[in-house]
Amino acid sequence: MKKGMADMDPAALGYVQKYFEQFLPLSMDELKQLLTYCEIRQFPKKKIILQEGETDNYLNIVVSGLMRKFIRIKKTEQTLQLATEGHIINSEISFLKQVPSVLLLQTLEPTTLISLSYTKMMDALDHYPPGERLGRQILSRMYVKKDERRFARASLNVRERFLHYLEGHPHMLQRVPQKYLASYLNIKPETFSRLKHLVKTGKKSL
Amino acid sequence: MQTIYHSLLLFLNQFLHLSEDEFTILQKRTAVKHFNKKENLIEPGETDKHLYFTGRGLIREYFIRGKKQVTTDIITEGTITGSISSFLTGEPSHYCLQAMEPVTVLAISRIDLEELYSSDRKWERLGRVLTAHFLLQQEQHILDNIRFSVRERFVHFAEKHRDLLQRVPQKYLASYLNIEPETFSRLKHLLKKNKSLL
Repeated sequence: MKKGMADMDPAALGYVQKYFEQFLPLSMDELKQLLTYCEIRQFPKKKIILQEGETDNYLNIVVSGLMRKFIRIKKTEQTLQLATEGHIINSEISFLKQVPSVLLLQTLEPTTLISLSYTKMMDALDHYPPGERLGRQILSRMYVKKDERRFARASLNVRERFLHYLEGHPHMLQRVPQKYLASYLNIKPETFSRLKHLVKTGKKSL
Repeated sequence: MQTIYHSLLLFLNQFLHLSEDEFTILQKRTAVKHFNKKENLIEPGETDKHLYFTGRGLIREYFIRGKKQVTTDIITEGTITGSISSFLTGEPSHYCLQAMEPVTVLAISRIDLEELYSSDRKWERLGRVLTAHFLLQQEQHILDNIRFSVRERFVHFAEKHRDLLQRVPQKYLASYLNIEPETFSRLKHLLKKNKSLL
């Protein structure tokens, strides 16, 4: 389902403007111009929105809902990203190089996205004045987030990873099926179950 | 010193064509720096205010976990490196960058880059495509580690970087490829017998 963004109400526009401030302050005119390149996409829960082998055509910001990015390896799945409100998600290599994706994207809740297609992005990079700078800032953010995850995965042990993540994202234990969280944190499901007492009983963590 | 600039131009041309005049503008913002073997370009906890283009020598990126060093990258000639997250955020680096051989780099500061970005959209574009390059490289490394078996990781690396097997101490390569040192030693027979690798 697609919808234009021209008829967005002023309160919503103000909210979106504030969101983009973390990358680059945009005037209301610049914001409205930016939104003409974007579209709103809505999906029910449990919907695969990108299959492996497909080329990812979109860069997405989650407005509401929850998504995951994962990879199938033989018969198992490995969750690589969980994205909630305000997060950016896509299959980066597939989108940026326009090649078939090895990753899949799936909604876990009914999800609304602000999406920018590859064609519109190229158009905006040529014709929308803040486009290059905004693009660089968004890519920088994506890099830094990915690097944080990579570092946490390599530098923390199982217990530390569990606590580090849930301290930063306490609500995710309720929102995300445990098997996905365990996979994302690279923790065996049995171990994950055992570790849950650490947050439930309110024991002092690290 | 002509050659390091030439290799920088070749590297950048993969992403964006720069005219001679444009390249001169960029060149003026860079400084040649030398590091001795084992010298650090950046220490853990330090904030990286530069990006480096490597002209000569190998650099190792690692962090310290307990008493162990975990190697996270091996940077060869002809590419751009730095503690990228620290450079982008201005926060202290998790990683250390160390010269594994005598190293020569071209360094550009964050301030100089910001000035270039503000002076012309062309530089903004260069900044954007380089940032995309960093993101893609990092994602590729993460995916390779997840998708491929120990043996596959070894073979892919050996096929692509045969020279590094001689130049880089085995413990660093093993750590980088996330392979136990003993397993790494055993896998080396695949190369010696000159078998077809896959």
